[in-house]
Amino acid sequence: MDQKGLGITRAILFCRQLDPDQDVNRRAIEKELGSQIRFFPLPCSGRVDPLYLMRALESGADKVYLITCPEGACRHREGNLRAKKRIAYTQGLIEEIGLDRERLELIITSAGDRKTIDELTRDILAREGVTSSVNPNDADIEK
Amino acid sequence: MITAERKPIKEIKEMLAPYRKILVVGCGSCVAECAAGGEKEVGLLSSALRMDAKASGKEIEIREMTLDRQCVYEFIDQLTEVIDQYDVVLSLACGAGVQAVAEVFPRVHILPALNTTFLGETKEAGLWVENCRGCGDCKLGVFAAVCPVTRCAKGLFNGPCGGSKTDRCEVDPDVPCAWQLIVSRLEDTGRLDLLRKVHPPADWSKQQGKGPRKIKREDQRT
Ligand code: SF4
Ligand code: SF4
Repeated sequence: MDQKGLGITRAILFCRQLDPDQDVNRRAIEKELGSQIRFFPLPCSGRVDPLYLMRALESGADKVYLITCPEGACRHREGNLRAKKRIAYTQGLIEEIGLDRERLELIITSAGDRKTIDELTRDILAREGVTSSVNPNDADIEK
Repeated sequence: MITAERKPIKEIKEMLAPYRKILVVGCGSCVAECAAGGEKEVGLLSSALRMDAKASGKEIEIREMTLDRQCVYEFIDQLTEVIDQYDVVLSLACGAGVQAVAEVFPRVHILPALNTTFLGETKEAGLWVENCRGCGDCKLGVFAAVCPVTRCAKGLFNGPCGGSKTDRCEVDPDVPCAWQLIVSRLEDTGRLDLLRKVHPPADWSKQQGKGPRKIKREDQRT
């Protein structure tokens, strides 16, 4: 299992609106990667607090992802823009303690091709270089 | 409210270097409103300090606490039970709060995590602006509730300097000319006649030169 996940632990915070079946869809990957992955569904990505991101890092995540709806598609209008600002703020904070800002990453999904949370997660794993269980179509993640 | 900003973590770390057990104490009032020293900011700073210590192999222990107000004894007293267990208090209150805690606990080392900045208002989410310098002789009544001491870059009492352009201050075009605001508000509220009065320069003896100011009210004392 370590090899599968490259030994990295990740926290994935995501907007629940992205995938109405997120509960079911994330289970397969949770099973595959065990403690190397933790999901935190949010009612809207704009509700993310820098404190959640810090606590996720502090509790051992090597990488924290925040996945938002496409720009302009937030149900609460500007949630994903707010998410972007909060990621930037927290990146500034971790840089102050000498951590790489890349430990926090914002992923804005593409409006053209809606994906479920398991597909989005497999795209992330593929990008990290985890080759098993990869969804072949990872081209539409915008950083 | 009193506004403040967090000090750079580097500076906070330098101050904390000799200590191991740290009590991080926020204030739930002014500095929480300006997102500098409330419960969330206590959490963020504590997390950052713990992660930093871990990365550098330093052993620290942090307890997070936030008082409703850090400048009032009744709230500060909540520290009495725990304060002896820590080597230092890192306070996220304004300068008044830091000193109030220090006064209550004369033997405790207490350090400021914030730079206290000004008296101001929350203009919009994430924007705080200075609008009072605490001059001790408030003239808002004659200036249509726009403070020329604070909001006019030159602190003028008897009309504009003449340099404003399209209602902006000549010193900083991002800021509206305070005198433009004063005159418009007096006009809108039918009080332009107030402008006839000539005001002497501000009496700064009410603010400065006699050490720290004090307000004492017998009716409030026990
Ligand atoms: S210590 Fe008092 S004045 Fe200072 S921020 Fe807290 S409530 Fe405001
Ligand atoms: S006149 Fe003095 S007390 Fe009144 S708002 Fe201005 S600085 Fe504050």
